[in-house]
Amino acid sequence: MTTVEKQIRRFLVENFLYDGQEDDLAADASFLEGGIIDSTGVLELELFLEETFGIEVADEDVLPENFDSIRRLVEYTTRKLQLAAENGGSWKADSMSQASELLKEVVVWEPTGQ
Amino acid sequence: MRICSRCVLPASFPGIRFDDNGVCNFCRTSATFQTRESRRAELQAKFARVVESARTASSYHCLVAWSGGKDSTYTLAVLKEEFELRVLAYTFDNGFVSPAAWRNMQAVSSNLNVDQVVVRPRFDFLRQVFRDSVSSVQYARKALSRTSAICNSCMGLAKFAGLRIAIEQDIPMVAFGWSPGQLPLSASIYRPRPAMAKAMMGATVGPLQRAGIGDASTYFLQDRHFAAAQHFPWEVSPLAFLDYHQDEIFRRIERLGWSKPSDTGPNSTNCLLNSLGILVHQTQTGFHPYASELATLVREGKISRDEALRRMETPENPDTVRLAMERLGLASLDFSSAQLGSPGQKGSRGL
Repeated sequence: MTTVEKQIRRFLVENFLYDGQEDDLAADASFLEGGIIDSTGVLELELFLEETFGIEVADEDVLPENFDSIRRLVEYTTRKLQLAAENGGSWKADSMSQASELLKEVVVWEPTGQ
Repeated sequence: MRICSRCVLPASFPGIRFDDNGVCNFCRTSATFQTRESRRAELQAKFARVVESARTASSYHCLVAWSGGKDSTYTLAVLKEEFELRVLAYTFDNGFVSPAAWRNMQAVSSNLNVDQVVVRPRFDFLRQVFRDSVSSVQYARKALSRTSAICNSCMGLAKFAGLRIAIEQDIPMVAFGWSPGQLPLSASIYRPRPAMAKAMMGATVGPLQRAGIGDASTYFLQDRHFAAAQHFPWEVSPLAFLDYHQDEIFRRIERLGWSKPSDTGPNSTNCLLNSLGILVHQTQTGFHPYASELATLVREGKISRDEALRRMETPENPDTVRLAMERLGLASLDFSSAQLGSPGQKGSRGL
């Protein structure tokens, strides 16, 4: 399990489920249909991703295919991290080193120009 | 029962933990004052941009969800008078709006010169929704940490009925009078894409349908609403990021003819169902449904801890509760008699 997934699972347990283990959540379980989070929780997830991983979540990205399960969230976050690494933008300065470490778990990536 | 030494969350609140000083994890992980103020400033700037784009609408600029209570009345006044928006006030009649609240809305709408539309679902449907919210409607734990099941049902119906009006009338913005403690800053200005709005709506209508309330979908958005993506309005909760001072709020709305109702419970200024919702929630979960909101207001310095505790401890008006039970056809509920106090009786700090 990558750090991205671990952090997402921990956030969900601590802020929405309150009990249970982080591993208990099925990767493909729908958050909204499964009653795991409420509708306001989607927006809290958005803020969590931005603050934790330093990515910018565009309004048009807040869609069920990106947000409505652990797997989808992890894949979305990873894509955003990769895009930022390729383009060198959309990262908050204080999270760049953390994001670099996260990406190393996912791809073989060599930072340039830092 | 143990209560956080800094806010008012009790030991029964979901996910709570206390440190050696009795401070809860929610206080310890809450945003600092500087972070909050920085976010509020960003949201104020974003709101200014949303307002400017809303002004291009040919009809109403903003639909304001108006319960007749203190905060939504203040929101209406601010948007009309300070932001000079062309507003349509929208009231969802859940069958329990207090007579005093109706009088307040009549006075304020006249003095503010605003149009008002009222949506009043048939009461047999509402009765089924609220009765089943007491027993069989299952919302997410997070939803129940924010408010009672009865309020979740009512707010869900009210919100989506309002969105229908906004979409059908091309009103670009819908404003809600949530207090700073009722929703996170991250949820205070957004415009969902139709696909996400549909999924979010499912989190509300799904529990109602699974409880057997078959007519529920009638009151929510239909496929034709989701097909018109360009008509989806902004959803804003201005009190989350504008200045929020209780004295100023009362001063302003009283100037408009609003007066504090004496026919509602201690935690509502408009609704006669609120007290029953609170008691049911306390019985079923062990904590007050307003605990989260009040805790946030305390952390942000909007009210004192003592005031928040007073609001949670003041017993609900038994007459209001009995009225609601009679109207819903609830003959008896498993309530401790100690939770139905007489006016002025100081309740216990524990639940």
